[in-house]
Amino acid sequence: MFQNRTEALALALPAAIFAAAVFLVPVVILLSDGFRVPTGGWTISAYTDFFSNSLNQAVFLRTLRLGALVTIASAVIGYAAAFAIVSLEPGAKGKVTGLVVLPLMISPVARTYAWIVILGRTGIVNQAFQALGITEAPLRILFSETAIFIGLLQLFLPLMIISLISALENMPKDAIPAARVLGANWFQVFWKVVLPLTKEGLVIGGTLVFTGSLTAYITPAILGGSKVLMLETLLYQQVAVSNNFVAASVIAFILIVMSFAANILLKRVATARNKQRSQA
Amino acid sequence: MTIQAMNKVILASGAALMLTVGAAEAQQKTLTISVYALAQDEYKQIVYDPFEKICGCKLVVETGNSVERLAKMEANKANPVVDMAVISMADALAASRAGLIDKVDTSKLSNFGKLYDVAKDPNKDGMSVGYTFYATSIAYRSDKMKIDSWADLLKPEYASHVAWPNVTTNQGPPALYMLGLALAKDTADLKAPIEAVGAKKAEIVTFYEKSSQLVQLMQQEEIWAAPIGRFTWAPFTKLGFPIAWAMPKEGQTGGMNVMVATKGSKNKDLALQFMDYWISTEVQTKLAEKLIDSPANKDVKLSDAIANNLTYGEETAKSLKLIPSAVALDNRAGWIKTWNEKVGQ
Repeated sequence: MFQNRTEALALALPAAIFAAAVFLVPVVILLSDGFRVPTGGWTISAYTDFFSNSLNQAVFLRTLRLGALVTIASAVIGYAAAFAIVSLEPGAKGKVTGLVVLPLMISPVARTYAWIVILGRTGIVNQAFQALGITEAPLRILFSETAIFIGLLQLFLPLMIISLISALENMPKDAIPAARVLGANWFQVFWKVVLPLTKEGLVIGGTLVFTGSLTAYITPAILGGSKVLMLETLLYQQVAVSNNFVAASVIAFILIVMSFAANILLKRVATARNKQRSQA
Repeated sequence: MTIQAMNKVILASGAALMLTVGAAEAQQKTLTISVYALAQDEYKQIVYDPFEKICGCKLVVETGNSVERLAKMEANKANPVVDMAVISMADALAASRAGLIDKVDTSKLSNFGKLYDVAKDPNKDGMSVGYTFYATSIAYRSDKMKIDSWADLLKPEYASHVAWPNVTTNQGPPALYMLGLALAKDTADLKAPIEAVGAKKAEIVTFYEKSSQLVQLMQQEEIWAAPIGRFTWAPFTKLGFPIAWAMPKEGQTGGMNVMVATKGSKNKDLALQFMDYWISTEVQTKLAEKLIDSPANKDVKLSDAIANNLTYGEETAKSLKLIPSAVALDNRAGWIKTWNEKVGQ
């Protein structure tokens, strides 16, 4: 399109300068706090301190665990929902997709507060459980990992469904019938045909859901509270209460690393399956 | 135009010119204050705008939570931006230790004598003046439970219906302090009360961080009781449940907010004039009537309906068991550490 690279670079320059000035530089300054010795020099002692504390270990593992569980659950539910939506008539498809996206347009605060009503001691879930005789006394669901899991799943499931819808739409229409004709059962169809062909969508959706779950603040703050700390709520505590910007910077860095790692890992898994197939 | 008429015009325009110059000079006088980001519309109407008229100066208002604002003051220590700030008692001591504030020259505060004794010099170092305080006690369902002591909250039949303030909130340490008194183990490190709460952590519904959350939890009957500050009491009385304000035998606790003057400020007199205005009977009455701040000025007279929503009166002011600032400051990090070990995981 352009005569030479210089022209293209010149056009990219304003955006690059803007991003560097207002994003990259502040982030580097913020993160460098975690490696700096107050008297000068560099150290990783803030990180070893962080991970030697048993509360921090527990919070780190809980964040990782919940992020992974939410990602897996949203992939399972997401595939089912995306299949159903893709198989609809075009008109209905648009409407249902709109419904899936709708929750994204409602404030997360309002959505999360609704969960307090639903999951509470006198909420719909407990009333139903008691009416059906599943439990005698109301269950304690609020302020637990279960509540955070439910809140995060509802928050991020639409992102997974949308990614998978576009992936499934790009899949050749004849792929599934062809596999069936050749004798594959439904599990094989999914595992050997659909999954490899939609892995891009899964990687994008998975990264969005996982990083979203790691960095969500409102949902764990309201549904978990300080009783069930996640890295993000711990970060808030360090900044707003303890004024410990070093620990906060350490947590921020860990969150960034976890997000990148998740993306790289998911991509690896996808390409590894590709290689397997081409070797076979 | 006659000469007389011309003279009049010249005089008039001269006067107009002088007026503009006068106004411009006054406009150059600027007072920068740093306050909590609460009820700013009301503060503007009751305090800021009228004061600008009185002093003929411009008021610049910086807001934020106290940690942010203190960090900013520390960063601008060599060249202070803020002339006066309102912060908590303990933060005032922190600012004083960090060399960020000066003694308040109370001889220049005409309303100083009207303050309750407890507000006159909260940290006993002459560095701050209290402008509002609040009681902290327990709001509870009087049809479900009976609270005579802070320790009652941890009774087996009650604990699973209680929200306890997180140690990181303003209500957290005072509530633990009172629990320590109830357990007769009131050491400054709050070890015994934190352990007692930790032993019940599975039962306790939540460790709240925002008191606004409690009204909903009370309404859903998720909780029956919670230690709260008096300034959040009003909405509980409107829920349609029998909710009472406990008078535990160990007493009530609470907190106080104070005004401080920045060291090296170039507008010291203006800052003092502003402080004096804020603690005046007129301003304190208006702030109380809007249920924003309980008055620290003892001349303020309030109706029962208003007083019921605030922390009001000499007796109440005297009865509050406040944690001394030095104790809070020297132990805060330790409290959070112990809390995270015993309760946080």
